[in-house]
Amino acid sequence: MRLVSFRPAACLAATAALLLVANAPAQAQTRAETLRYVTGASVNTLDPNIPGSTRESFALSMSTYDRLVAFGRKELNGKWVFDLDKITGELAESYDVSPDGLKLTFRLRKDAKFQDGSPVTADDVKWSLDRCVTAPILGKAQLLTGSLTSADQFKVIDPLTIEVTLPKPDKLALPNLATVYPMIINSKLAKEHATADDPWATAWLKEHTAGSGAYVIETFKPGEQVIVKRNEDWNRGSPGKPAFFKRVIIQSVPEPATRANLVERGDADLVVDLQASDVQSLEAKGKLKVISTPQYNSITFVSMNNQMPPFDNVNVRRAIAFALPYDDMFKAALFGRGAPLFGASWPDGKPANGIYPFQAPLKTDLDKAREYLKAAGLPEGFSTTFSFNVGQASTAEPMASLVKESLAKIGIKVDIQKLPDAQMSTQINEKKLPFFTEGIVAWLPSTDYFYRNFYTGNQRWNYSSINNPELAAIAQEARFEPDKAKYEEDGRKLNAIHFSEMPQIPLWQPNQDAVMASSIEGYTYEFHRQVDYRDVGRK
Amino acid sequence: MTGLGATMVRAGRRLLSSLPALFGVLVFTFLLMRVLPGDPAVFFASGPNAGKEEIEQIRKQMGLDKSVPEQLVFYLSDIGHGNLGRSMMTGQPVLKDLRERLPASLELTFTALLIALIAAVPLGVVAALKPGSPVDHGVRLFCALGVCVPTFVSGLLLIYAFYYLLGLAPDPTGRIDVFTSLPPQRTGFLSVDFLLAGDVEGWWAACKQLILPAVSMALFVIAPLARITRASMLVSLGSDFVRTARSVGLSWRKVVITYALRNAILPVITIAGIVFSTMLGANVLVEKVFSWPGVASYALDALLSSDYAPVQGFVLLMASLFVLVNLVVDICYGIADPRVSIG
Repeated sequence: MRLVSFRPAACLAATAALLLVANAPAQAQTRAETLRYVTGASVNTLDPNIPGSTRESFALSMSTYDRLVAFGRKELNGKWVFDLDKITGELAESYDVSPDGLKLTFRLRKDAKFQDGSPVTADDVKWSLDRCVTAPILGKAQLLTGSLTSADQFKVIDPLTIEVTLPKPDKLALPNLATVYPMIINSKLAKEHATADDPWATAWLKEHTAGSGAYVIETFKPGEQVIVKRNEDWNRGSPGKPAFFKRVIIQSVPEPATRANLVERGDADLVVDLQASDVQSLEAKGKLKVISTPQYNSITFVSMNNQMPPFDNVNVRRAIAFALPYDDMFKAALFGRGAPLFGASWPDGKPANGIYPFQAPLKTDLDKAREYLKAAGLPEGFSTTFSFNVGQASTAEPMASLVKESLAKIGIKVDIQKLPDAQMSTQINEKKLPFFTEGIVAWLPSTDYFYRNFYTGNQRWNYSSINNPELAAIAQEARFEPDKAKYEEDGRKLNAIHFSEMPQIPLWQPNQDAVMASSIEGYTYEFHRQVDYRDVGRK
Repeated sequence: MTGLGATMVRAGRRLLSSLPALFGVLVFTFLLMRVLPGDPAVFFASGPNAGKEEIEQIRKQMGLDKSVPEQLVFYLSDIGHGNLGRSMMTGQPVLKDLRERLPASLELTFTALLIALIAAVPLGVVAALKPGSPVDHGVRLFCALGVCVPTFVSGLLLIYAFYYLLGLAPDPTGRIDVFTSLPPQRTGFLSVDFLLAGDVEGWWAACKQLILPAVSMALFVIAPLARITRASMLVSLGSDFVRTARSVGLSWRKVVITYALRNAILPVITIAGIVFSTMLGANVLVEKVFSWPGVASYALDALLSSDYAPVQGFVLLMASLFVLVNLVVDICYGIADPRVSIG
């Protein structure tokens, strides 16, 4: 009787003791080898190709899958950023571009294995690239920008060699293969889960991974957290070595103030989406490492609908451009954390170079603004609305008030309109907003790419709805221009048209403020504007 | 036993009679979501290079290419088969999302309500015993403070004090420390699951995570509960039976607790039921501040991105819970006061 009643308690005590002994040292050891990354967003799919996937999903896929090639990195003003011009092999051991630029040949690494142990073959590469250009997924539209449109372009030469043929010598074909979408999938594994309705296994790959990447999914809770563990066989970073961290925890913490507290207390290691004010105070305290990189492949602008009166009049657009309170906006919205795209001086009145985004010779000059309004036949001003979306409220709200105040001085009455994100994108798509602020980003930031995608055609990303045949023709021509000097000249022409037509007003490139524990090193600003977990390590 | 049987039959009848209301909620939410401006397809097709084709693709995937009556028929037949649709935001079936998140919200709300009741009822009783005294005014001040500080402010203040400054609380990120392994899921209530698994350390870790959010929610609802307890106690203390009980020399304890409080508790139960239902839906701010993976923050995110299925699923869930809570409140009436029967 006594013995029976004694047993459960003893068991419990023994279990507890065992747990304590087993857990304590293991946890202490793994904390240093674990990266805890917190973010306001969340991962919603394991395949970044699924329509609706988030930027965190893009970043995660960089670590769970490999691509044929990857971007190198370079130092820009003392900070590491991705290098569009240096493309290195990832699954490809080496690659050749034929002299006419029409053939790309990739030789695969012999030692590369998928996470299930099977070797990576040219057949897998072909299946993955075919999937990217044929399946109804996001990769299709992206690869189109690199003249990759059909499965016929990918040819298996032997089990370790694959050849890509291009209709034109497109400069963006190779960089496109380093972007998020054309990841290399274990085709045998994926095909087992394909169905007649879904030959490319999109449903299965949304919830499972079949890659060869540096990290293996351990737990995936959409909207909460993802935990990945290191793939010990992966050696695509530095030869013979896997990624640094044994585990990475990607955790969603919606409240920015909480994210700031976590990283300051040392409970989180790395965060890239803090509020500018928090970054500033953390930087001032000096305990943490803050790496601020202007997002040089992005741009925040004020756009006007060039087809809608009164903004169809170029003088109205110019008037607005000279009436915006640039310095105040820059301080109020970003706390000055970014690269301004106003206040340049063009001594000869011509663009300084052919690079887009360019810094425009704009500053607040209300007299000039009034003159332009008079020239537009609207000396008394007019009324309009200025819209921004809720998601950007922390920067756009102070900005909008300053725009309203400043434009009131030249007689333009502005109503501020704050729209839920889905409403804002719907109205932009339907071209219904007269005057608004937005931000754009290009993974492959070349001048012609920006102009072709954001300033031509009657499509969603042409925010200003500008329809300028000359601009469209030059941008199209520049795409396949092999001569660097001529390309630069085209870029200058495009920038000059942009400035004189003023379809939209460039404001700035906000900083990516990466705040991290002082022991974290190797952080690099990547094209997808998220952290590549393979880059970082701990001292 | 016939009393219990009759109660069950009445409860069942009440559940049945609430079905038309639930159906109405279903159709109304469905239509409301479609009337709201904002096209989910355009929003979700927002990756670089997503053009017309991608938008059409998503529209088809969400079934938005069909007419609204057709969509409604499909939706109702799906619901009939127990399918609430798929969320674009998380990429998961809504039913799965809600099933995972509801226990988190319920655990938080129950704990908060428990804390609020434990604090509010004694406060109300004390205030009622000495109306107009400094104690009464103190309780009133405390309640006023609790109500006028919004939950996210009190939440952020608690985090600042107990996590950031003192380091007593664990980091405010969800239900459990990321480094703690989870117990096998039985009820979905972590504090219960840990106990069932016999993991005391884990149980304590889960409780520590729960305290701050529960307290910041409780602070907000103490006021209505304490005020109603006070008012109801005042009536009860001034009534004839209490005077009689006092005059026959019953102990203070017996008079206040057994006679006065038991008679005063009915309105408190009513308010507690209402408070519970509102808390469940309205704790979105606390959930956001503490990264609590609950249903309310899920619904808010879905609403902002015009993700129809989760919002509809959430409203349906809330309506069903409301029906259930009202039923429970009615049954509690019967226990507190045998004269009341639900009908």
